This record gives sequence, structure tokens and C-alpha cells, in this order.
Amino acid sequence: MFDYLANPTRFMRLADRLLLPLALLATGLLAAGLYYGLLASPADYQQGETVRIMYVHVPAAWLASLGYVALGLCGLFYIVWRHPLADVALRAMAPVGAMFAFLTLVTGAFWGKPMWGAWWVWDARLTSMLVLFFFYLGVIALANGFDQPERGSRPAALLALVGMINVPIVKFSVDWWNTLHQPASLIRSGGVSIDPAMLTPLLLMLAGTHCYFAVIVILRMKSILTERRIVTMQLRHAATVTPPGGGTG
Amino acid sequence: MTGRKMNTGNIKSSLGAQIRRDIALGWRGRGQALVMLGFFLIIITLFPLAAGPDEAQLRPIAIPVIWIAAMLASLAGFTRIFADDVACGWVDQVALSPLPLALYALARAAVHWALTALPMLVVTPLMGLMLYLEPVGMPPLLLALALGTMAMTLLGLIGAALTEGARGGTGLLAVLVLPLAVPVLIFGVLASAPADGGIVTPHLMLLGAVLLVLLALAPLVAAMALAEAEAETGA
Repeated sequence: MFDYLANPTRFMRLADRLLLPLALLATGLLAAGLYYGLLASPADYQQGETVRIMYVHVPAAWLASLGYVALGLCGLFYIVWRHPLADVALRAMAPVGAMFAFLTLVTGAFWGKPMWGAWWVWDARLTSMLVLFFFYLGVIALANGFDQPERGSRPAALLALVGMINVPIVKFSVDWWNTLHQPASLIRSGGVSIDPAMLTPLLLMLAGTHCYFAVIVILRMKSILTERRIVTMQLRHAATVTPPGGGTG
Repeated sequence: MTGRKMNTGNIKSSLGAQIRRDIALGWRGRGQALVMLGFFLIIITLFPLAAGPDEAQLRPIAIPVIWIAAMLASLAGFTRIFADDVACGWVDQVALSPLPLALYALARAAVHWALTALPMLVVTPLMGLMLYLEPVGMPPLLLALALGTMAMTLLGLIGAALTEGARGGTGLLAVLVLPLAVPVLIFGVLASAPADGGIVTPHLMLLGAVLLVLLALAPLVAAMALAEAEAETGA
């Protein structure tokens, strides 16, 4: 399977076949999820209408975490097997993951203001999501930080691997830090014994955003591969037009 | 591999040569270490200027301020730790020699720590007094800071090797390394102010655990990144 996909042309063909069904699935699931979530589900008896932020907030947080694991796996595949597609996937995924981490923080702020009376609280979960966001930024910056773009592939893959080991330690330390500094009563962790009327839209939204994630990542991978092909063609073209060594000195 | 037995002897002698060279170079460039020390002192001095000279205000932030200053100062020295060695071909020579790149990176980190972090540790009690820390609180602070700066040095090693040859310099290095340094900061600050007066606290042990993970991880990652940087410049 992985060998099969090492050929970008084969990947492109598979991607083209997958894109439309996945996009349709994402649209359908998201539309249904948003309808149930925003209109057809009851408001929470404690939180009122603001509970509907959950239908965006929770899937975004899931995808931010999932994206980080996927990033680490891409790094592993690139370092160990030098799989060319792993690098493309890593570059495609990092900004999407960062976007979801950012979305988690923003929707969390919108939710926090009416619930806790503050846009931001130095709660363990918020803080580790913020650190995760910074980690994504680091991977993006490193992958694009070199004059020759492909030179950033291996450092970025290594960083993703290091993050896979270190980010759980960060999470653990932040949990530790928080429990010592303030009571963890702000987020009702596990207290949401969720009603089926709310669970249905949440699951729909979760499935929908996962499909959406896949669609965006495949699209971005395709565009990265196309971009590389264009650069190669331009270089080849330049080489035929200008004989080697015959350029302006 | 026929020369395996001979190699261990070679590794030891080349490691010794590497360390001697790094110490000699570091000593010749000791002005640089003094600059790092000055940077550390100035960051600490800025906080009372920003927060006001009030003792009641400064004492609670003394330990966090010292920690942040130490973290930033140990990062600032890292941008060029491999640059000259890559440029002059030293890394290529190491790659050809029996000395593994990981050990080379580790030797570099150890010497770097001794030349930049040790002076910081020496002046820390002084800065602590200026921030109204009690003298009794110094031993746990120094112990935690010693472990913490070692961990920061190893993280900086990863960052320096990854960003070798990249645009962006110190800023990029800081963006990569500081998020991963969160555990060092948290456990370090907690271990610096033990609640019950004992020096070896759970936080110090956790800090030590983080240090050990980094000790296993950092030289390998640095070696892999350096091999790439070396192949790139060698071509």
C-alpha cells in the first residue's frame, strides 16, 4: 500500500477518485450536524444557547490533537522509510492542524466569556492547546525556513517526531502545574453526561469535520505535488532554453 | 565490520580530542560567554525596573524571573553552535571519523553548558539576593537551575541542529524550542521553591526525568539533523 502510493501519479489518481465522495460526505454530515446542532437540538438548562458552541469546539479540539498524532506519524514514515508522500502529507497537514488548534482556542474564548466570565483562563486544557498551537507554528516555520524548500523536510519530520514524544510530557506537566495553582473546578470534566439530543449533532459534526479534514489535506497534498511538478518543468525548460553555463555571468 | 574492537578505543580518544578542542575554542572565545552572562543579568535587572522596586512585589516573582532569564540566555547562545563547524568542514570530518555524530553533539552541548550555564549559576545567588530571595532558598534553586539549564542546553542542541542552514536564526530556534521547554520551566520553578523545605522534591525528580529523556533523545536527533545539513553543504 505504502510502496504503491510512493508514486505521486498513482496518489494523484487515487486522490481524484476519493475527493468527490469525501467532499459530498463532509458537506452532508456538516449540514446535518449544523442543522441539528444549531436549530433542532435543545439548549442546555445551565448553559443556555451557548452550549451550541460545543458542536464546533469539540470537533476542532479533536482534530487539533489528531492532526498532531498524524504529523508525528508522517515524521516517522519520512525519517525511517523516506516515504516521499509522508513529507507532502506533513506539509499539507501542519497548517490545517494549526487552524483547528486556533479554532479551538477562539471558540473556547467565546464559550468561556459567558460561562466563566473571562475570555481566557489559565486552565490546563487551554494552556496545553495553546502550546500545541505554538508547536504547529514551529513545524510550519521549520518546514518553510530554508532557501531550498525540500531542505526543510527532514528537520520538520524530526521536529514532528520529537513533538510526538515531548508534547505528552508538556500536557502532563501543564496538568500538574494547574492542579497545584488553582482548583480544577472550572471545566466540568467528564461531567457532561450528554443527552442523546445533543450527542447526535455532536457525532455528526465530529464525522463531518473529520471528512472535511481529509478533503482539505488531500487537496493541499495535490497542490503541493502539482507545485513541485511545475517547478521541475520550469527548471527543465530553463535548462533547454539557456545552455548550461551560458547564462548571464 | 572487522575493526569493531579497535573502534571503541578510537571513539574514546576522538571524543577526548573533540572535548579538548571545544574547551580550547570556548576559552579562546570566552568573551562570548561573558556576553551571555551579561544578557542573563540584564534580563533580570529589567524586571524590577518594569514591576517597581517594591520588595513585596519582587519576592514572589524572583524565582520565575531567574528561570525565564536563564532559559532565554541559554537559548541565545545556540544559534551558531554548529554553524562554524558545518561551514569549515569539521562536521564532515567527524562524519568520516570513528566518532559518532551523536557523541560529537553531546560533547558540544556539555562544553557549551560548562562555559555559559555554569557562570550563570555562579551569579544566581547574587541576583536572588537582589530580588529579595532568602539565602536559605538558594540550594534548591541552584540545584533545580543546574538540571534545568542542562535540559535547556539539550533542547537547544535539537533546535540548533534542526535550524542549521535555515533562515530565521534565533527567532526560529526559540519558536521551536520554547514550546517543548514548558515541562522544564514548570517542574524547575516548582522544584526551586519546595514547600516543605526538603531539597529532593518530586518536582526535582520529574525535572530529572525530563532531563534524562532529553539526554537520550537530543544527541540522536541532533545527529540525524546534522547528517542532513552536512550532506547538503558537502554536495
